[in-house]
Amino acid sequence: MTAHFPVTPASNPPPSQANLLEARNLSKAYGPVTVLSDVSFDVPARSVVTLVGENGAGKSTVFNILSGLTRPDRGTITFAGQPFRPDSHRAAVRLGVTRVFQEQSLVHNVPVYENLLIGEEARYARFGQWVDRKAMVRAARRIVETAGLDVDVERRTGDYDFSTRQSIEIARACLTPTLIRGVGEPLILLDEPTSALDRRDEDTFFDLVREVRKYGSLLFVSHRMAEVLDISDVIYVLKDGALAARLRPDETDEHHLHGLMVGRERARDYYYEARQHRELPPRAGLRAEGIRAAAGASEVTLEVRPGEILGIGGLLDSGKSELGKAIAGVRAPVGGTVALKDGAPQAPDIRRSARAGLGYIPAERLVEGIIPAFPVAWNFSIGSGCDLFSTRAGFWRRGAERRAAHRHIEALAVRSARPETPMHRLSGGNQQKVVLARWLERRPEVLVLDNPTRGVDAGAKQEIYRVLRDLTDQGVAIVLITDELLELIGLSNRILIMQRGAVVADVPAPADAKPSEQDLVALMLPGAASSSEQVEITT
Amino acid sequence: MTFSLSPDRPWTGTPLRRILNRFEPGLWFPIGVVLALFVVFSLTTSSFATLRNFSAVSGQAATLLIVCLGATFIVLMGSIDLSVGAIVLLTGAVSVTALNAWGIGWLVIPFAALVGGGLGLVNGLIYTKGRIPSFIVTLGTLSVFSGIALTLLDGRAIQFNAPGLETISIGQLIPRLPNIALWAILAWGVVVVIGSRTRFGRYMYLIGGGEQVAQTAGVPVGRYKLYAFGLSGLLAGLGAIFAVARLGAAGPSLGSDLLLNSLAAIVVGGTSLAGGVGGVHRTLIGVLIIAILDNGLNLMGVSQFLQMIIKGLVVIAAVLVSRKANAGQVIK
Repeated sequence: MTAHFPVTPASNPPPSQANLLEARNLSKAYGPVTVLSDVSFDVPARSVVTLVGENGAGKSTVFNILSGLTRPDRGTITFAGQPFRPDSHRAAVRLGVTRVFQEQSLVHNVPVYENLLIGEEARYARFGQWVDRKAMVRAARRIVETAGLDVDVERRTGDYDFSTRQSIEIARACLTPTLIRGVGEPLILLDEPTSALDRRDEDTFFDLVREVRKYGSLLFVSHRMAEVLDISDVIYVLKDGALAARLRPDETDEHHLHGLMVGRERARDYYYEARQHRELPPRAGLRAEGIRAAAGASEVTLEVRPGEILGIGGLLDSGKSELGKAIAGVRAPVGGTVALKDGAPQAPDIRRSARAGLGYIPAERLVEGIIPAFPVAWNFSIGSGCDLFSTRAGFWRRGAERRAAHRHIEALAVRSARPETPMHRLSGGNQQKVVLARWLERRPEVLVLDNPTRGVDAGAKQEIYRVLRDLTDQGVAIVLITDELLELIGLSNRILIMQRGAVVADVPAPADAKPSEQDLVALMLPGAASSSEQVEITT
Repeated sequence: MTFSLSPDRPWTGTPLRRILNRFEPGLWFPIGVVLALFVVFSLTTSSFATLRNFSAVSGQAATLLIVCLGATFIVLMGSIDLSVGAIVLLTGAVSVTALNAWGIGWLVIPFAALVGGGLGLVNGLIYTKGRIPSFIVTLGTLSVFSGIALTLLDGRAIQFNAPGLETISIGQLIPRLPNIALWAILAWGVVVVIGSRTRFGRYMYLIGGGEQVAQTAGVPVGRYKLYAFGLSGLLAGLGAIFAVARLGAAGPSLGSDLLLNSLAAIVVGGTSLAGGVGGVHRTLIGVLIIAILDNGLNLMGVSQFLQMIIKGLVVIAAVLVSRKANAGQVIK
């Protein structure tokens, strides 16, 4: 299925062999910043095409153009043989291009079937305004069955966990064009679809991809190179808004792709494991005692030493994010205390903890981490309004704020950013650097990080890892909660595995004897270890 | 004073663009409306463009401006205060009663500020501690405050007997400019500085733009919400005593037009009800639009009922036009 060269109609008559979508010379600039220059690519019919590149390379812009959210400054697109110029997302959907967004767009408070058929209600109207509920439920069932999901379409959407909701969203984008709207050859845009899926749902997802590929095409953005190589027919590498390469999966590998994306081969020591501290001081940087994040959770006691990275892993519903929020005091726990360094144990509260030297980076960047419409400097200074950036009389120190923001932009190489640039202009990786800078400015002693590299490109990831190692050199204690196994293994001195709100295993991970992915996954799955025993693993 | 601090207007772009942006391009539209109203009323009525009338307009607009200053912060942080009119009424009633009973004289000014601030704090406490939407809280206190005030007044207007007190409003330190307008402008200046140069002001933007983000970063969100309601009440209290001094009495209709007018002025000025966008500096223009419209239509002899219709349409039209910039956001 890699008929990517323009085919002559005479020699290759069936239209399905041609390209479903052809983009030619797409260019886009926001003011002086060029985000896309002269990008041309094809999506062959019935194929899986992947765009890879660092954040800011232009992938999202391509997606925004194809889904009708942005218009290119120059360039043409042909979809199914017709010129394709959608002026809105709705128009793109009507033409047969659907998209799964990185952030979920499901309405929680309605049954699943309403979400699956959102915007299609008119098809089920009887007598004007009445909706044929039974027909909707039937149609929705067909979607979830085709997608292989174990979902009751009449249940409230919010009752399903994040991963299942993501699956529902993917099923909607993949299947409504054909099953409901009767589009013969849809194009489905998937923006990092698997980053929010847990392992159980990933397999279902790949089955669905293979199913959809029988009649339509999929265009992916993903940072997971193994996955990209596995499912793609064609891979396009974007770098700094231009096309860097067009490859078949059999002519490349992970290192090669990383090299093309960042202009260098990915360092073998990606996680700087050589810099992991062996000897740790005997005192604790942070000690959490009997923390119960929610009513159903067990008591968790943990200790992180200065210079140590304590990893916390588990499936998406394991309660690790909730534990992070509780330790940082972002959401008050049901019970338990936290002591920072020499401080007395207290019920955690982020307002006090932040002043005492704790920093917290949330997983949901766009909801909890940054205010997209506000300038970089404002997003940077938000954690230090009570001390660093205001005078005792309450006046804001705008000069100091600007200078400090500028300093961090330089130090962390936040690309195409100035202190006054609105955050939404930055790519995910650069946004995350600003969030990191927010706490670095405070010279923290403890950092609680929840998926600090989610939606961050390979280059920025490595820069973040380097900063984390620098911090441990300075004696910062770090709690690292992450869904990325390799990151968890590579960075942590010690790894806690959680299941249903309880710590079920405490795995040492010294630089020369790291546990394997398989070991950890086995511990994460229910039934692998009871909550009472402490499992030690050596590899 | 430059207004470049507003977060909805980045400073990026060509140098020329940047200079224009320093004055917030979004401001040109409401300023244009003020000028247009000015021209229309000057041409259609003979009495509009007179010094005497400007004196009158500034006196009428002053109370509205003072009251709107605090309420703008509330809207900026994504909440709403429907009770400012009722706070004005109750503070007016309490102040006149206190003035007549104890003869506190000039001390009535800080007294009114305290009463207003206290009522604002009541709103804020119910809102933050009870975790009830501000719309509901202030809708309730709107009724409660009004009821208490009308009980105090027994449904009648009560005059105060404090000779000379009226000069704080109708005296003219600057010829032709009633003092109440002078105080309003001074208060506006102070509050603009608070909005753009202080921690309180910054937190208002942050809470309005992303309350959860602010909370996660350790901003004491609840405390600052309380401060904002306190400040709103305090300024409403000051507005009340200046209005009472101007009218010579506190009556049942005191502040009755403030509910619509304050929200209209804030929104027409360009502060979004969604929060995080706009600012106190813009509210001055909104107040001017509402006041000039009121005055001009009166001079043209337009009936009260038709005036209501026109004012309502102007508010909707102003928001429709200014909304283009942030199209696509969720409207509640």
